[in-house]
Amino acid sequence: MRETLIESLGVTLYEETLDNGLHVALLPRPGFQQVFVTLTTRFGSTDQTVDVPGRGEAWVVPDGVAHFLEHKMFDMPTGDVFADFAKHGAAANAFTSFEQTTYLFSCTEDLTENTRILLDYVQTPYFTDASVEKEKGIIGQEIRMYDDNPDWRCFFGLLQCLYQRHPLRIPIAGTIESIAQIDTDLLYRCYETFYHPGNMLFFAAGGFDPAALLEVVRENQAGKAFPDCPRVERNLPTEPVGIRQGRNVAQLGVSQARCLIGWKDGQTGLAGAELLRQELLTGVILDTLFGRGSDFYHLLLDEGLIDQHFSWEYEASNSYGYTLLGGNTTDVDTLVGRVDETIESVIRKGLSAEAFERNVRKAMGRFVLGFDSPSGIARNYTAYWVKGVDWLDSLAVLNSLTLEEAQQRLAEHLVPELRAVSVIEPVSIATGA
Amino acid sequence: MTSFASFDDGRCSVHILRTAQFHTRHIHVKMTRPMRREQVTATALLPYLWMEGTGEHPSALELTRRSEALFGTVLQTAIGKRADRHVVEVYAGMPESAAEPDTLYKEVLELVWQVILNPATEGGVFPAGHVERQRSLHQKRIASVLDDKIQYAYERCLEEVSRDGPEALPRFGFVDDLETCTPTRLWQVYEDFLREARVHVYLVGPFADAKAEAERVLRLLHKAFPGAPDTFSPVHPLSPQGADERRVVEEQAVMQGKLNLGLRTGMAYADASYPALLVANGILGGFPHSKLFRNVREKNSLAYYASSRLDALTGVVSIQTGIEVSRYEQALAIIREQIEDLRNGRVDEQELEYTKLGLRNQYRVMLDQPMTMADLHFTGVLAGHPRPIEQLLHEIEQVSREQVIQAAESWQVDTVYFLKGRVQASA
Repeated sequence: MRETLIESLGVTLYEETLDNGLHVALLPRPGFQQVFVTLTTRFGSTDQTVDVPGRGEAWVVPDGVAHFLEHKMFDMPTGDVFADFAKHGAAANAFTSFEQTTYLFSCTEDLTENTRILLDYVQTPYFTDASVEKEKGIIGQEIRMYDDNPDWRCFFGLLQCLYQRHPLRIPIAGTIESIAQIDTDLLYRCYETFYHPGNMLFFAAGGFDPAALLEVVRENQAGKAFPDCPRVERNLPTEPVGIRQGRNVAQLGVSQARCLIGWKDGQTGLAGAELLRQELLTGVILDTLFGRGSDFYHLLLDEGLIDQHFSWEYEASNSYGYTLLGGNTTDVDTLVGRVDETIESVIRKGLSAEAFERNVRKAMGRFVLGFDSPSGIARNYTAYWVKGVDWLDSLAVLNSLTLEEAQQRLAEHLVPELRAVSVIEPVSIATGA
Repeated sequence: MTSFASFDDGRCSVHILRTAQFHTRHIHVKMTRPMRREQVTATALLPYLWMEGTGEHPSALELTRRSEALFGTVLQTAIGKRADRHVVEVYAGMPESAAEPDTLYKEVLELVWQVILNPATEGGVFPAGHVERQRSLHQKRIASVLDDKIQYAYERCLEEVSRDGPEALPRFGFVDDLETCTPTRLWQVYEDFLREARVHVYLVGPFADAKAEAERVLRLLHKAFPGAPDTFSPVHPLSPQGADERRVVEEQAVMQGKLNLGLRTGMAYADASYPALLVANGILGGFPHSKLFRNVREKNSLAYYASSRLDALTGVVSIQTGIEVSRYEQALAIIREQIEDLRNGRVDEQELEYTKLGLRNQYRVMLDQPMTMADLHFTGVLAGHPRPIEQLLHEIEQVSREQVIQAAESWQVDTVYFLKGRVQASA
């Protein structure tokens, strides 16, 4: 078991890759009651084309299949796995995102039993025609719920503007039409392709003894046989440099217009430390320009153009990257114009060294504050692991960022040609009986 | 140490959790008084006005930069509502990793006092510019309650359930009141509030001497908040009315219908039967093993979410589901069946056991989340009946099947609320 002490945080990471390929990473927070445990596979909504060399032609899956599979994993030949967790006082859940599916539980007792339940159910595919059909109604309502969610709609509207072919455009849960095509055969095929331990991470954070927990995982895995790990090729379609369209507009029953302004990142193909550096650097730049402590934010609040929901985000992986910012607004076009002016002016005059430095320190402080949440640690660690990034290096990377590289990055990334706008317009709302 | 040590002086209390467990040191001030129609909007504006600037950092920008420069310290204010009480909150969280965490803590505490006691002024009242900006933002704050339909349906249903009481007042107040929220009037409400509020300060961190720190803070508080203990009575649950249930239907541009039920139980946090009430709600809809999830979602595929939650102070149980509009009658019938089953004692040992274990886990996790612990403590304060987590854990363990059935017996479905899409021309 490899031990890495992160001195600045006073925590140690324990790691081992088991014989079957499962990577185990453990981050104890001594004194915590809770243990937050995750089992993650690299299978997400962007895995649209599945290519396993030596196993026939590449095939295309219906939108939303990774998420559908996540739902159906909870069925066991013995019944519903929620009952097994409930018997040991654990709260279980799962989620699917662009590049991963994560199964999780949190518990304060019976860690050994709960860990075995997690490993066993995720490693037991059991699908029946009846249960697959039934799930379509449930996921149909989940999709309807997102249909009414303005943040979600605005976000996907933006991705659909920025990307021409990249499957980032696909809604994570798919559509009611696309999930209608899913059957048991397809779920088994996806399972066999993506759920080999060699494609997965077991991660835990919280109050536990790492040697003992590792032993539970090791023993459980040693009792199971797996075929060789399929080598999955991620055949992403070639994404053109440019964006698909400059604007997307949708109507919803909301109180006021909201908009997200986004930039497609031209700098993709990064991995590991380089990718982490790009993410953290871009985050500090955006916070400096548009954060709560920026001139921009307060000026626009004064003018009544935005409200306190205004925020920014940068997200990147090996094959994609995007910046987005926005929120509610009284005037979409004026807001877009003001954002453009601000970027142009900062590129011309240069970033303020004082503001940049302040926001680096702030990002470091906020990173440390996050370490009191085992669930937050687990979500971050796993999301970055999927991208091949060691998230625990963040403090060191933040500390080494320079104003010069920020200047350069700003000029390269936030260019008008790669910008799009997603708008949600309010439709009038009738209330009353 | 797993519970707050409390120190009181007049209408001020300091609750300290002395611990070296966390990377964050927390300061959370909760100031409360009963909600009143005529002051509800002005009071709701106060915490937002405070963030517009202080005497020393006279604009929102300067104040934000000051806190962020303190090693990324999070400084926030909010308006909350617990039963019929308005709660004005100020929170600060700072990293223990700072070179001198004790010095940082003193600086942040000083900043928190400035926010509450020394807001920026102009001619002895809040600056007109600050008031203008917050009035405009507050109007949007009130309007945007519409944007999250799940939350909207939840709040509308609760509002209907508590229709005649101050519990029905919205925590943000009313758009129509904003016109009267002038700098002068807001300042009067501010002074009223300082004069009247019951003040609770929660502190979490590795304090060398909890008592000494509490006394130091109480001395500061005493000067700003003089006077005797308040005479506010404890919060009481809403009692079942015995009248027929109400049906409320609202139409909006939505794809999914939101079917919510509000039940009055007549019991709440201070009652001896509260642990049984918690278990009863858990069996009905608190978990994935609960009746609602199993029957509405798993068995009948009617919804993605189907759950219930208990308000500890009003004792209202809120059932929430998101369904296809055309399945309203079917979903309602299944929900009613679950309530009836619970009331009629159709509860097996397994449901009881799993629910008690699930609740036990929820409360034990709180020991890692000092601000959630503070909220629970505050609930006990408002109810006039503190229950340390260890006690609650013990009480939950003791709950019997008979007690659960007894606790559910008096539940009354008060309101059936349905938010549905506009009728559309069919193809």
